[in-house]
Amino acid sequence: MQFFKVIGRSLRSIGIVFSHEFNLFFTSPIVYLIGSVWLFLAGGFFALSLSAINTGQYEPDMLGMFSPMVFLMIFMAPALTMRLVAEEYRNGTNELLYTAPVRDWEVIFAKWLAVWAVFSVFMLISFVYPLILFSRGNPDPGLIITGYLGLWLMAGATLALGVFASSLTQYQLVAFFVTMGTLLVLWLAQQLTYIITSPKITPVLAEISLVSHYQNLVSRAIIDPIDVGYFVGIITVFLFLATQMLSTRRWSS
Amino acid sequence: MIQVEGLTKYYGNFKAIDSLSFYIDAGEVVGFLGPNGAGKTTTMRILTGFMPPNEGTATIAGYDVLDQPLEARQRVGYLPESVPLYKEMTVWQYVDYVAKLYNMRNPIRANRVDEVLDQVGMIDRADSLISSLSKGMRQRVGLAQALVHEPDVLVLDEPTIGLDPGQVREFRELIQQVGKEHTVLLSTHILSEVEQVCDRVLIIHNGQIVAEDRPDALSARLQGSHRFKVKVGNAKPEAIAEVIGGLPGVINVTSTDDGVEVLSEEEQDTRPAVAAAIVGKKWDLLELRPLDMSLEEIFLELTTNDRQTYEEEG
Ligand SMILES: Nc1ncnc2c1ncn2[C@@H]1O[C@H](COP(=O)(O)OP(=O)(O)OP(=O)(O)O)[C@@H](O)[C@H]1O
Ligand SMILES: [Mg+2]
Repeated sequence: MQFFKVIGRSLRSIGIVFSHEFNLFFTSPIVYLIGSVWLFLAGGFFALSLSAINTGQYEPDMLGMFSPMVFLMIFMAPALTMRLVAEEYRNGTNELLYTAPVRDWEVIFAKWLAVWAVFSVFMLISFVYPLILFSRGNPDPGLIITGYLGLWLMAGATLALGVFASSLTQYQLVAFFVTMGTLLVLWLAQQLTYIITSPKITPVLAEISLVSHYQNLVSRAIIDPIDVGYFVGIITVFLFLATQMLSTRRWSS
Repeated sequence: MIQVEGLTKYYGNFKAIDSLSFYIDAGEVVGFLGPNGAGKTTTMRILTGFMPPNEGTATIAGYDVLDQPLEARQRVGYLPESVPLYKEMTVWQYVDYVAKLYNMRNPIRANRVDEVLDQVGMIDRADSLISSLSKGMRQRVGLAQALVHEPDVLVLDEPTIGLDPGQVREFRELIQQVGKEHTVLLSTHILSEVEQVCDRVLIIHNGQIVAEDRPDALSARLQGSHRFKVKVGNAKPEAIAEVIGGLPGVINVTSTDDGVEVLSEEEQDTRPAVAAAIVGKKWDLLELRPLDMSLEEIFLELTTNDRQTYEEEG
């Protein structure tokens, strides 16, 4: 009974902070800009898949759209998340939020959920692309479903990293570059697997790389628990670290 | 209602507050008076659960701020030094959000938001964006936010700073009104503010409480009769000092450019005797004015006085 009360209370707190954060996104024109650019680029990549259908060379699929998404996320994740925690410190609203009867992890989780939901809105709009594909040809629905699942999880993981970076500083720009830099390194690690062919290092690089787990989901039409677990693990670790950061910063604020 | 024992807080190696202890009863309005850097904000941040102390305990309505943080925070309304506002929200949305964070539910919540905005005089600006408000209005919204969940304890960190004199007066009246129903701890470095709104004053200096008193007793002790300036038309300061210096209750007379400054014993108002002595000499008494002390002087005075009594007792 007590257990359900505690869970219920946490869910309520998360819901309150979540809807506040989610609404706050749409008070700024930046989110519309990011969304439009992303949808425009996704559409551009998708158009390439369409031209492949027209030439009749391939089975229609959306790999052309999914594959570059991980690269786009290097810039999109920091842009969406940089504000989330840093600005509370900048505006002094952290003093309101962290003296309210909500837990640090609830705040962090709700903030991450809000930015993930914003991304999900973009993703929902992009569903028109597969609809077009189905109206024109006969694509493999499994590949599209795992592709979107991969995209969704990969976004969740990169956004969790962004939330963590935003909890390190009061400067949005610092948060932006920390997230972007880290993602760039992770992305480059994947590129290295094409260059380094050592039987020892290459599998390790592939295993830690965001890109290879993403590619596994996107290109194989198989939902491998290892790939899903990898992203869920990344999300958990960074949200945990962000929560720890809040607690640490309470000591010295 | 608020119980603080042995509270100590370090920033790195710097000790910002030093084994602070005090107690505040339900319904009291207590002023936290101290100069810049005394440790007022630090203490309040510990009480509100914003930061943990290194040593000591603080309880709010029986809940320890460290062990039962959510219960303790639920019972505190806090207006920080810089008002924490989301400028993209309207006044109503903002106060409603804070009410939600403090576990208020509709339909009570919506009514309460209206009520508290009415109380602070912001109800007609309820739908304005916070970014469009003046400093004084923002301070009111900050107070509304602290009050909305009807907390047992209200913690206000320098609530009148940065307001114009008219707004300061209005805001103090507001606090007085609020103080009738709540336990209030407010910090300030303005002595007259404490006199106006507080039942009791805690004086904090270098992270320690150096005095605790009723504000009227304190101000009598500190300004009023016990230190004043005398200006005389037709006599040399040395001559005046000679005449006044011998009067009972006068401790010290110092000459200044245009008169003398008299220091007398705390309990004794020597002003009538001084006036009579001067008039008796047929000098022209131009001015006899109590000297206000600056906060720094007050602390100097209090700390040295305490040392004296301590030495006498010891
Ligand atoms: N985050 C911090 N890091 C390091 N030192 C700090 C920090 N915050 C406060 N201090 C120091 O602790 C001491 C007490 O600061 P505090 O803000 O509590 O004073 P205050 O009484 O509120 O002063 P004011 O009247 O200026 O608001 C000061 O010497 C200050 O420099
Ligand atoms: Mg302060």
